[in-house]
Amino acid sequence: MRIYLDHNAGAPLRPEVRAAIARFSEADEANPAAVHRGGQRARRALEEARARVARLIGAAPREIVFTSGGTESNNLALRGVAETQTKRRRIVSSAIEHSSILAPLEYLAGRGFETIRIVPDRDGRIAPAAVAAALDADTALVTMGLANAEVGTIQDVAAMAEPIARAGALFHIDAAQAAGRIPIRVDDLRCDLLTISGHKLGAPAGIGALYVRAAVALAPAMLGGPQEAGMRGGTPNLLGAVALGVAAEAAAAHLDGESVRVAALAARLLERLGAAIPDLRLNGPGLDSESSAPQKIANTLNLTFPGVLGESMLIALDLEGVEVSMGSACAAGAVEPSHVLLAMGLGRDEARSSLRLSLGWSTTADEIERAAETIARVWRRVRAAEPTTTRTTTVAPAKRAAVSEAAR
Amino acid sequence: MSARVLVAMSGGVDSSVAAAILRERGYDVVGVAMRLAPETAGPAPARRRGTCCSHEDFEDARRVAERMDFPFYVVDLRAEFGARVIDNFVSEYLDGRTPNPCVMCNREIKFDRLRERAAALGADYVATGHYARIERDPRGRFHLLRAADATKDQSYFLFTLGQVELSRTLFPLGAMTKAEVRERARQLGLANADKPESQEICFVPDGDYAGFVERAASPQRLRAGHIVDRSGRTLAAHDGVHRFTVGQRRGLGLSAPAPLYVREIRAESGEIVVGPREDLAAAGLIARDLSFVDPRSIGAGAIAVEARIRYRHPALPATLTIESGGGARVTFEGGGGPAVTPGQACVFYRGEEVVGGGFIERAL
Repeated sequence: MRIYLDHNAGAPLRPEVRAAIARFSEADEANPAAVHRGGQRARRALEEARARVARLIGAAPREIVFTSGGTESNNLALRGVAETQTKRRRIVSSAIEHSSILAPLEYLAGRGFETIRIVPDRDGRIAPAAVAAALDADTALVTMGLANAEVGTIQDVAAMAEPIARAGALFHIDAAQAAGRIPIRVDDLRCDLLTISGHKLGAPAGIGALYVRAAVALAPAMLGGPQEAGMRGGTPNLLGAVALGVAAEAAAAHLDGESVRVAALAARLLERLGAAIPDLRLNGPGLDSESSAPQKIANTLNLTFPGVLGESMLIALDLEGVEVSMGSACAAGAVEPSHVLLAMGLGRDEARSSLRLSLGWSTTADEIERAAETIARVWRRVRAAEPTTTRTTTVAPAKRAAVSEAAR
Repeated sequence: MSARVLVAMSGGVDSSVAAAILRERGYDVVGVAMRLAPETAGPAPARRRGTCCSHEDFEDARRVAERMDFPFYVVDLRAEFGARVIDNFVSEYLDGRTPNPCVMCNREIKFDRLRERAAALGADYVATGHYARIERDPRGRFHLLRAADATKDQSYFLFTLGQVELSRTLFPLGAMTKAEVRERARQLGLANADKPESQEICFVPDGDYAGFVERAASPQRLRAGHIVDRSGRTLAAHDGVHRFTVGQRRGLGLSAPAPLYVREIRAESGEIVVGPREDLAAAGLIARDLSFVDPRSIGAGAIAVEARIRYRHPALPATLTIESGGGARVTFEGGGGPAVTPGQACVFYRGEEVVGGGFIERAL
């Protein structure tokens, strides 16, 4: 039995979603724009799905634009804002964003925009003060990930919103990893745009959404018909939208119980690995104590395994049936060290020794026990067979909490 | 549980068929493509297919894995390849020798670094698509033999493998001809059955070794000098000793009544000594950095072997004497031997069997 610990790359379909897809594929699906009654039924299904997605984040249904996924949502947000701009030329972001933010930023930088990528601290936090300091009267947009995909750090976006609003800039939040894992109210976050990814929520890949505050106009990323309030032409992915609606509803319904359960499983996994692997390090904030505000999404454990290559661990674990991830894959399919870890100040060797374990709705206590046993065993084997020389890095390891402390 | 074997896959037909055969024999096959050469500058289309490290080649290997249903991974060994193969390649040229990076890659990467990786992944064996055979005798000793297909035999590149390596290595193609391998690939429906072979050194796809050395080396290490004849008379100036190889005739920029060949490269002084063809014949050579497939089988004193001093070269009868300093003296039978190129491997055979070999230090 394979153990899937890669929820941040994409969650398995939730059972409610499987059932909804099966049900819906029995129905006759028409084009929601069609005038006939088949079209009317399709339109009703689409709008129900829209309302469900809106409820997950406290938005109005008409503020939800369906897209093909998180990448399209992020592109629509960044390029859609940039193309409506005639004066403001600055975009503020961070160095630890997803490639679907970083690539549009690079594209816009090549078209005359001044892009600023704020560097995080050792735990992957972007200081709200640094965001405020980067703002000026020329700033069009601030884009910030709510929860980081690699290390799980939650940004204090509420503290960023006030100065952004005062500067007259728009605020986009990439909530692909946060949605369904922590409560999100767009009015509390005071954002103008917010990205949701379907397959991170337990819907299939190929569907996503962008929240667009009612007063905000975006240039369309896809030219075509008047669908999605003119912001995204093309017949909508109705089956995907229905699945996303159900996934959003299920995630919202399970959020409290699931987040406590997953946090306990992650703590258990960390505790067992910490006991078996001396000098194992948790990257990013430590696991939360119950009293404080959440510093990270609890499902994500980014771990530096001493004396081994993450690449070897990743492959060896896969051959043992435990699926985890590391950084990002290059075009050739090789793994590259995480740009997030490097931006946080880890040395290249440390980043190369790091893996991301991400839990989710499907993870069971039994899987965690077996995963802990397998990971520890594979680590011992890899380290014995293929030792890496521990090189001195420029960062002070003392600044990073050892797992034993972090797990407290 | 069946034995796990890590198969080094280049995307070419040989390693693909090797993997497929092992899969059919019931091994737990894990395919790996090695990322070895540094990123080529320039846009993707500029990267040539068939250079063993291009994305297209990885995709070819991945398709074979998908078709034959075994796991496949790309592993990043660029740092090791750079430090242990490319750096050596560059410094050998700068020192006036003509290196053989394929031998070094086998010694340092495929049968060392990759063997470590195999152990890390719980694999019992490393397999490649090399044309060579491994046999285990009743006493449990391993023998490295020429391939059944003499025209494809690659045992020359594998002389550094010892007992430990051979006991953990599989060469599934050793008994097959190239035509049989291609036919097998077609039967298996592998898309790369008719893919042409790569001829160049993988990290120098354009074949311009001198240009590669010049880009990789610090300028002060390049040694310009003069082309001289045996009497020391200067015939021309040249831009660097790395541009020459012993036995070379073309590209000297000299006009003489009879063709002139590079006879010797004196890296220290920057002198390239040229002479007529008959001057090239060496009576023998000194080899260093020796290794033997089964050191216990090597007796003392003079040993009769066949010495192969270049990949595409027949093995010549010779006498091998191991010297006290760790090097070896090889004298060709009957005198009047071939041009000997320092830096190339000299591999000792006895009939079908590889005894061992070393790297050529100088001609005698």
